[in-house]
Amino acid sequence: MNMFSSFSLVTLLLLTVPIMTTSLNTYKSSNYPLYVKTTISYAFITSMIPTMMFIYSGQELIISNWHWLTIQTLKLSLSFKMDYFSMMFVPVALFVTWSIMEFSMWYMHSDPNINKFFKYLLLFLITMMILVTANNLFQLFIGWEGVGIMSFLLIGWWYGRADANTAALQAVLYNRIGDIGFILAMAWFLTNLNTWDLQQIFMLDPNNSNTPLIGLVLAATGKSAQFGLHPWLPSAMEGPTPVSALLHSSTMVVAGIFLLIRFYPLTENNKHIQSITLCLGAITTLFTAMCALTQNDIKKIIAFSTSSQVGLMMVTIGINQPYLAFLHICTHAFFKAMLFMCSGSMIHSLNDEQDIRKMGGLFKAMPFTTTALIVGSLALTGMPFLTGFYSKDLIIEAANTSYTNAWALLMTLIATSFTAIYSTRIIFFALLGQPRFSTLININENNPLLINSIKRLLIGSLFAGYIISNNIPPTTVPQMTMPYYLKTTALIVTILGFTLALEISNMTKNLKFHYPSNAFKFSTLLGYFPTIMHRLAPYMNLSMSQKSASSLLDLIWLEAILPKTISLAQMKASTLVTNQKGLIKLYFLSFLITILISMILFNFHE
Amino acid sequence: MLKYIIPTIMLMPLTWMSKGNMIWINSTTHSLLISFTSLLLMNQFGDNSLNFSLMFFSDSLSTPLLILTMWLLPLMLMASQHHLSKENLTRKKLFITMLILLQLFLIMTFTAMELIFFYILFEATLVPTLIIITRWGNQTERLNAGLYFLFYTLAGSLPLLVALIYIQNMVGSLNFLMLQYWVQPMHNSWSSIFMWLACMMAFMVKMPLYGLHLWLPKAHVEAPIAGSMVLAAILLKLGGYGMLRITLILNPMTDFMAYPFIMLSLWGMIMTSSICLRQTDLKSLIAYSSVSHMALVIVAILIQTPWSYMGATALMIAHGLTSSMLFCLANSNYERIHSRTMILARGLQTLLPLMATWWLLASLTNLALPPTINLIGELFVMMSTFSWSNITIILMGVNMVITALYSLYMLIMTQRGKYTYHINNISPSFTRENALMSLHILPLLLLSLNPKIILGPLY
Repeated sequence: MNMFSSFSLVTLLLLTVPIMTTSLNTYKSSNYPLYVKTTISYAFITSMIPTMMFIYSGQELIISNWHWLTIQTLKLSLSFKMDYFSMMFVPVALFVTWSIMEFSMWYMHSDPNINKFFKYLLLFLITMMILVTANNLFQLFIGWEGVGIMSFLLIGWWYGRADANTAALQAVLYNRIGDIGFILAMAWFLTNLNTWDLQQIFMLDPNNSNTPLIGLVLAATGKSAQFGLHPWLPSAMEGPTPVSALLHSSTMVVAGIFLLIRFYPLTENNKHIQSITLCLGAITTLFTAMCALTQNDIKKIIAFSTSSQVGLMMVTIGINQPYLAFLHICTHAFFKAMLFMCSGSMIHSLNDEQDIRKMGGLFKAMPFTTTALIVGSLALTGMPFLTGFYSKDLIIEAANTSYTNAWALLMTLIATSFTAIYSTRIIFFALLGQPRFSTLININENNPLLINSIKRLLIGSLFAGYIISNNIPPTTVPQMTMPYYLKTTALIVTILGFTLALEISNMTKNLKFHYPSNAFKFSTLLGYFPTIMHRLAPYMNLSMSQKSASSLLDLIWLEAILPKTISLAQMKASTLVTNQKGLIKLYFLSFLITILISMILFNFHE
Repeated sequence: MLKYIIPTIMLMPLTWMSKGNMIWINSTTHSLLISFTSLLLMNQFGDNSLNFSLMFFSDSLSTPLLILTMWLLPLMLMASQHHLSKENLTRKKLFITMLILLQLFLIMTFTAMELIFFYILFEATLVPTLIIITRWGNQTERLNAGLYFLFYTLAGSLPLLVALIYIQNMVGSLNFLMLQYWVQPMHNSWSSIFMWLACMMAFMVKMPLYGLHLWLPKAHVEAPIAGSMVLAAILLKLGGYGMLRITLILNPMTDFMAYPFIMLSLWGMIMTSSICLRQTDLKSLIAYSSVSHMALVIVAILIQTPWSYMGATALMIAHGLTSSMLFCLANSNYERIHSRTMILARGLQTLLPLMATWWLLASLTNLALPPTINLIGELFVMMSTFSWSNITIILMGVNMVITALYSLYMLIMTQRGKYTYHINNISPSFTRENALMSLHILPLLLLSLNPKIILGPLY
């Protein structure tokens, strides 16, 4: 008996159980978070079975059921694609979510709506699963929009805060701009290929596929916060930390990259799209790494670092290595989620203090969190034999040895060394040195919910890369031989970054800028991007809608042309032709005249 | 068809003979029963229409609209209870009678087989609507709004009467079913252009087309809740329904006459959604969003492909339910705050959490979240406009972004943030209101399970 499809479906169905039982008493009890967390851990275990079978046999599968609509020649049905990408990603996402759920049981325990929070997180996970396993574009779009809306709801979780609402709206706005691209791709595939099914699209393999692929790149730019549409990701840090850990580091932001990986049969033959993604990714990875250098908010630094890593994945797609990009998605999920959880632990312990300048010396007070943070940072920078190494090093090597744009390669390498720099900065400011926080704060990280969740991801950050890359079926052949200096480039730039950052930090610890340099201003003001794009564009747009659309056209011209002109014309015409003008004084005057005349006539009758 | 018409007529004596405390419950239950019987119409055998008599027929285009009409009467009755609570009994009964009369006319309009019959009933629906707006509206501007409403639609539809009489003379019949077989292609001449304009303008004004839409925000804003609901949900759809029906006899003029109107609609769609971004008045915002959505329907109908027709019909039903729900929500705010200004009713999520859920669902359906039928409608329209001309995707995409923005802006403005101090003592939401919202949202959600029943005759 083949258990492949049944276990895949069980995994997906298990997740819906806590949602379905919302109307029952479980939702009202205080055990609901535990219940959700356990459900996810079960789903993780069941999802491992088809994944193991896939690793063993390499067998792909499509589950197609519930015929939904047939419009002329287009058939839409509920279908799941269980191929390499979804088989590998589902357990990773479930594992990370499992830990994050446990973490949020600790982080959100005082929230009165914690049950609702867990339901939102779970709904998000379900939409993410739909996105990952979808076999046709419509179903993918359901997941795509679903994660967007759930991110809106979760970023705006503390709905009393104006900043949270703005950030939530911003996320939807940028995602919607990306959706234009998605719709464009859907429309193009429908008109030219008459299908939304992935297999059929790949089988037909259109030659002139620039238009839909540009649409997909736009969609990925919006969802994965690539340069141009990136500002929503740092703003999204207004949400609770578990949300940042789940949505904005490990799952949702990589959805755009995942979409491009899904469509790699089309991109791998299209050089234009590859150059576009390469340059876009290189700009993103460098720009956001640069922004991360001078941030003081710990969550913002990690958010920018996420953006930078997503840019690196985009670069990997640009050098035509979708499998490597996917590997980086999987490994990145572990340590980035853990970094967010560590920062959440520190923020929570320091009474919601997010500024790294006000931390310091935490390695004494929070030894476990410190360990995890350092391991996570090292994994992020690609320290050999930690999780990040297995994907990041390969990416840099592949980029080094490919016939690619040297400029983009240089950008990526600089960004890689910047990764080490801002990681050092977090460690240096938050963990080392003297404490700079208030002495009255009671720091305690000894909560099993916190320790266990971080511990699980810590093990993941140490070994997941090794385990995954040793078990996956061989995909692209890695470059076997290369000169020493190419092989060690990744390591050298990272070590260079580390030493530079440490030296500079030590040297300038007690120094102060008399006036900020231009480079510093560029970095702290996020490349002047928000100032320009978030002031000018909305201002012009809104004043256009007020002045020209609403006032000028609607309230003046359209009203003046039809109703007012007609009524004016009627009025003029009627006053013109009528004898009665309502001029009472004149009428009485005319009486006076007649009376006068008659008087005179009567008087002078004789 | 009499099985729907006679019970609807009998609702009037039912209302007048009910005791004072029973009028709402009686009329609501009975109209709900009628709407349940109308579900039988869904059973359309084959591709032909159901011909009930020489006067009435229904096919898969009119059926969803018909069911929507009958579904909306109990909802309107439920929604206006609070609005009329201070009126005396006779006036309440009169109000209910007006709503029933309106439903009666609408049922007959959607099922009319003759074009002249259709025309007369199309005009007849104006009378009860006008009375509802001008008699039960809240402010003195309602008279102005009534005037605009009446004159725009009347002036738009008078040429249609002339055109219909002409067609009757030339062709010999105005029967929908026969006309599609008998009609000759129009020749290419100036008179045909005017003929086309005469036939389409009545419906374009009703839809409304951008530029001729001024009556709509005014009427929506000034009307009582029942008036706004029926206007947004059904009266606008009369325009779409008429266009879908009458384009049959206007071939091949539509192919090139459509261009200016498609352009105008595409432009107007963006303009009206931008206006929504700057609205301070909640009802006016929803009204403008209706204009913007209806522009999509006009574009879809004028493109005349099977996909676009399906999109237009789906979008009409989806928008009918969604905008009606949004008006109900706006009204529930109005009844508590006594103002339509959005800034006065902030942070309601803290006070009315269940209402916030309805707001969220209504906003999400309004911005066409997949897999709601709003998305199906909009997606089909976008697909067909894309294949008509590729660059329209830019305008459509911009409109999609702005629609999401103003829907969520409305949500954030009313539900999120800190609540204002003057709303400390507002009454909690009634079961009646929650039932009203769920009766709106349930059909929307259920239809997304099986959208093919609202995709019209071309499915």
